[in-house]
Amino acid sequence: MCNLPVHVSCRSNAEYMSPSGKVPFVHVGNQVVSELGPIVQFTKAKGHSLSDGLDDVQRAEMKAYMELVNNMLLTAELYIQWCDDTTATEISRPRYSSPYSWPLNQILAYQKQWEVRRKMNAIGWAGKSLEQVYEDVSQCCQALSQRLGTQPYFFNKQPTELDALVFGHLFTILTTRLTSDELGEKIKSYSNLLAFCRRIEQSYFEDSQAGSSSRGYSKGPSLF
Amino acid sequence: MGTVHARSMDPLPMHGRDMGVHPDDMIEVQEAEHETKQEVLENKDVVVQHVNIEGLGRTKEDLLGYEISEVFDAKNLIDVMKKSHIARQKLLRLGIFKEVEVVIDTSDGTVCAHKRADALPNGLDVTFEVTEMKRLTGSYNTMVGNNEGSMVLGVKLPNVFGRAEKLTFQFSYGTKETSYGLSFFKPQPGNFERNLTLNLYKVTGQFPWSSLKETDRGVSTELNFPLWRTNHTLKWEGVWRELGCLARSASFAVREESGHTLKSALSHTMSIDNRNSAIFPKKGALLRINQELAGYTGGDASFLKEDFELQVNRRLVWDSVLSASLWGGCLLPIGGRPSSIADRFYLGGPTSVRGFGMYSIGPQSEGDYLGGEAYWAGGLHLYTPLPFRPGRGGFGDLFRTHFFLNAGNLCNLNYGEGPRAHLQRLAECVRWSYGAGIVLRLGNIARLELNYCIPMGVQSGDRICDGVQFGAGIRFL
Repeated sequence: MCNLPVHVSCRSNAEYMSPSGKVPFVHVGNQVVSELGPIVQFTKAKGHSLSDGLDDVQRAEMKAYMELVNNMLLTAELYIQWCDDTTATEISRPRYSSPYSWPLNQILAYQKQWEVRRKMNAIGWAGKSLEQVYEDVSQCCQALSQRLGTQPYFFNKQPTELDALVFGHLFTILTTRLTSDELGEKIKSYSNLLAFCRRIEQSYFEDSQAGSSSRGYSKGPSLF
Repeated sequence: MGTVHARSMDPLPMHGRDMGVHPDDMIEVQEAEHETKQEVLENKDVVVQHVNIEGLGRTKEDLLGYEISEVFDAKNLIDVMKKSHIARQKLLRLGIFKEVEVVIDTSDGTVCAHKRADALPNGLDVTFEVTEMKRLTGSYNTMVGNNEGSMVLGVKLPNVFGRAEKLTFQFSYGTKETSYGLSFFKPQPGNFERNLTLNLYKVTGQFPWSSLKETDRGVSTELNFPLWRTNHTLKWEGVWRELGCLARSASFAVREESGHTLKSALSHTMSIDNRNSAIFPKKGALLRINQELAGYTGGDASFLKEDFELQVNRRLVWDSVLSASLWGGCLLPIGGRPSSIADRFYLGGPTSVRGFGMYSIGPQSEGDYLGGEAYWAGGLHLYTPLPFRPGRGGFGDLFRTHFFLNAGNLCNLNYGEGPRAHLQRLAECVRWSYGAGIVLRLGNIARLELNYCIPMGVQSGDRICDGVQFGAGIRFL
């Protein structure tokens, strides 16, 4: 969105390569920066920022919504992938263990599952049922949908970090194959969010087809 | 007839690997007895009628039968004493007895309570009085160093099931890391040199020269057997390796190697060692060839690795020894995947090419040394006793001065080119160094060195350590 040239590289050990243990991370020159917050700060220090046009109130609002997305959507995604037994067995564990050979793949997949379940326990989500999680996601989407309204982006006509974050999560949810489509349906029920995702995909990821072939997403899944 | 007690000499120290009988010891036994009983014993023909072992608890007797069977072949008393001595050595090297004493008596003598009907007039009974080791021995140490403290607990069970099997367990709990190792050793009864070892371990290592830390959890099975004059080892090893960066400033090339891999490898080592000592050999040579094939029994890593070690020693005038050694190896990745930093070879440091920093020769990225896929290293040493020989016969014998010339090269090979191109690559930009220093021997396994080195042929990117360099280790170039 900042129009900076970027090359996406998929590695099976990306999680371990990252200095903080979380993806995504960028490797720029000699520096490695991981997670969205630090990456945004890094690009801002280099002079590129999406939220320059916002005033303080809007910036605070943006931060609040980003926290909401992180707390709700991210945690729900983790819950559905690892705490729901069917999804974990059929999708998450096979996918997580695919780069490794036996028996390492089993060990690492179970290790990841225990780690996520421990985290869910710590934040109190362990007691929730799948229905409750879907409800939470629905409520979060409702809040986002209300904020978005009929605007093209969350704040005026320019995309901000919030748009990038929301797009990332919604796009992933809509294009990841799970055991049931319920989560995707919940999001699709908010038509302005769906249109929002399609719009961003069209503007930023589709025209790379004609341009350089270094954008990884153009070969990936699509909403269309 | 009178009783003859042939008592053993002072308990001889147990050496590490060379538990064979040294010809020097044989001469000692003969000389001690020679003066007092010369004409009576030397040419007297005897027959060994019984060989007994007393003091056995949990050790099974069939195991010991092989070790003592040769005593029956002795024909005269000196022979009996020699063969008993050899049998005693064999019993001690099983590692299950604290002490072994030999008692040689006549067949109808008073050691047994009654005269035996079948006792021959020139018959002898040889009795080995053994003291078994305790069932369980433990040790507890604390270690402090390098900003880390740790507690090390060791447990050893010698002779677990009665046939010289040994089980050892070591556990180290530290402020930063924990590691453990469990090992089970079983020799073949009758053939101690053929043995099987099973290992289960977790070790962690930190390699500041590459900004890398590695945690290995693994299982290995090892089979040792001698064949003619060589010693062979066949080993299968399965290791779960976890690599990580040691510091945030690690280079991206090292960061790319972080993560988990599984290596399942078969290896074979052949070694011929006829040196008279492992640390300061005066003569003899060592040749060790090792190959490792990974990937065909599972796992992610897939390569063929060869390396060899050759050392030749020769004694010169005035107690000085000339020693030449050559190391080399190559790593061939199979299946198109690039080799992992944990499998590559490293060169440099006080234990290989002296005058350079530890493992600090060869391909590197932002100060982190990545290792190479092929290397060679050679050394020429002249060892002499300390000048003016202080403390001769005692402490001074542990030291040597040495003058050395080391050379080596490490690089990555592009396997698309032919062998000629490889040799050329290894022959250009050779790093070498020369100097002198003092070497101290620690037991029979390790040595300490303090050298003054002058490195030459330094390429850009190598880290040198010219001037005084200190080194401690087991295997030196």
